[in-house]
Amino acid sequence: MSLIEIDNLSVTFRAKGRVVPAVREVSLKVEARESYGLVGESGSGKSTILRAICGLAPVSGGSIRIGGEPLPDPRGRAFSRRVQMVFQDPYSSLHPRHTLDRTLSEPLAIHGLGGADARVVQALADVGLPAKFRFRYPHQLSGGQRQRVAIARALMLEPEILLLDEPTSALDASIQAEVLNLLARLRAERGLTFLMVSHDLAVIDHMCDRVLVMQHGRAVEELAHADLAAARMTTAYARSLFDASADRMLDAAAAGARP
Amino acid sequence: MTALRAWLTDPNPASRRQARLGQLWLAWLRLRRNPLAMAGLVIVAALVAVAVLAPVLAPHDPLAQDLTRRLLPPGAPGHLLGTDEFGRDILSRILHGARITLYIVALVAVTAPVLGLLVGTVAGYFGGLVDQALMRVTDIFLAFPRLILALALVAVLGPGIFNAVLAIALTAWPPYARVARAETLTVRSADYIAAVRLQGAGSARIIWGHVVPMCLPSVIIRVTLDMAGVILIAAGLGFLGLGVQPPLPEWGLMIASGRKYLFEQWWVATMPGLAIFVVSLGFNLLGDGLRDVLDPRSAGR
Repeated sequence: MSLIEIDNLSVTFRAKGRVVPAVREVSLKVEARESYGLVGESGSGKSTILRAICGLAPVSGGSIRIGGEPLPDPRGRAFSRRVQMVFQDPYSSLHPRHTLDRTLSEPLAIHGLGGADARVVQALADVGLPAKFRFRYPHQLSGGQRQRVAIARALMLEPEILLLDEPTSALDASIQAEVLNLLARLRAERGLTFLMVSHDLAVIDHMCDRVLVMQHGRAVEELAHADLAAARMTTAYARSLFDASADRMLDAAAAGARP
Repeated sequence: MTALRAWLTDPNPASRRQARLGQLWLAWLRLRRNPLAMAGLVIVAALVAVAVLAPVLAPHDPLAQDLTRRLLPPGAPGHLLGTDEFGRDILSRILHGARITLYIVALVAVTAPVLGLLVGTVAGYFGGLVDQALMRVTDIFLAFPRLILALALVAVLGPGIFNAVLAIALTAWPPYARVARAETLTVRSADYIAAVRLQGAGSARIIWGHVVPMCLPSVIIRVTLDMAGVILIAAGLGFLGLGVQPPLPEWGLMIASGRKYLFEQWWVATMPGLAIFVVSLGFNLLGDGLRDVLDPRSAGR
């Protein structure tokens, strides 16, 4: 049994008579402690899958199971403690009028967990932010620092699954590497399971054990990390994505292995 | 003083309170750069000071009648602004009237916006049927001219200062509900709301802790700008005899009693009219300044 099992998931948005199928019959399985990537161009439905898992998008078909159990609707507090998400844009994912202390202690207050003081200080330290930032507002932080806060917030409830929605695409290249390394370190330390969305194969290559290539809401091809690095993809679309980002692949081995 | 300023502008506050006060201090600095807003603030502060110190400042008892000295013109010895038809000192009555005006303004300011915020954020956050129902009620209230609706309510409840406040509050909330709903609609699909929902927060916590703080600036601006209207409606109710009852020195009531002498003894109606004008102007200037400071769409997000 896999930790996350998605079977024939379809998500359809309906608004004012228009019907937009965002995800069409996508299936995937993520094992515990695995890092799984979803890659594709914008509009391919990869972020929608994450939102559907969180109950933020309307599921029109198929099923999502976590730990073998179907998800309740609404998701509920037990779900919150197992699954958390890091959003794409750190400028809009932190409440502009709450201090970091408020942002980080809110999940503890919701779940009635004590020791907020010590936990907030520890959470800031875990993501490499100085404790003196604790009572700052988001506008007093840089983009990379904000994303660290967003990651700290997602980890406050000690979830086992972290959904990452393009966690670095709003950041500068140099900051991107820092945040990706932070995520990799946290995953190793805490045994987290990642389900990560990106349009950038270089990021996926750096972070993920397996990757699912998506296009127009459908799954195109699933690749293991070794196959990705060796460019052993079978579909034309996956290859064109690979070619577009091959020169930015982070490890030299992958570039050297190209035919 | 410098220690306090350093404490307020510390980029690394040591507590939530210090962080919040620091933000207030920055807002105050922005407000101070606007001379018109400062003029408004001075007028409003003066209203509060006069209301608090009325018994000390007033040269006469505002209710003491002296029919031998009735309708004295401004500048008469002992009566700077003259006397009214019962020989009461107009200056003293205006100073004491500040208390009633402030009482009405304060009471409306703490009731109507709270009701409006509640209705607006709940309608905007839940959407759908809740939104339809709440907003149609709001539309019904908005369909009446405010003074007429207030008149009708006072007519039902009976005249008096508290009923006047109640009537004004019940007619003043719909615009706040509209403002709050519009603001909520822009906020409710934001990632930070999705994030707190994902953490398992209930609707009440999200609305109160996360949506309301985002609506508050627009509502505060609106309240300040509306205060002039509230004063005018209170005065209007007093003028029509449905608000504050004689012999209390309410400004609208004073204008009403001066109406009979408008052509010969103009000061009886003019002096309280000037008081209403100055205080309304003060609130309007302050509201405009606050908009520059608080409105997230202008500077200083």
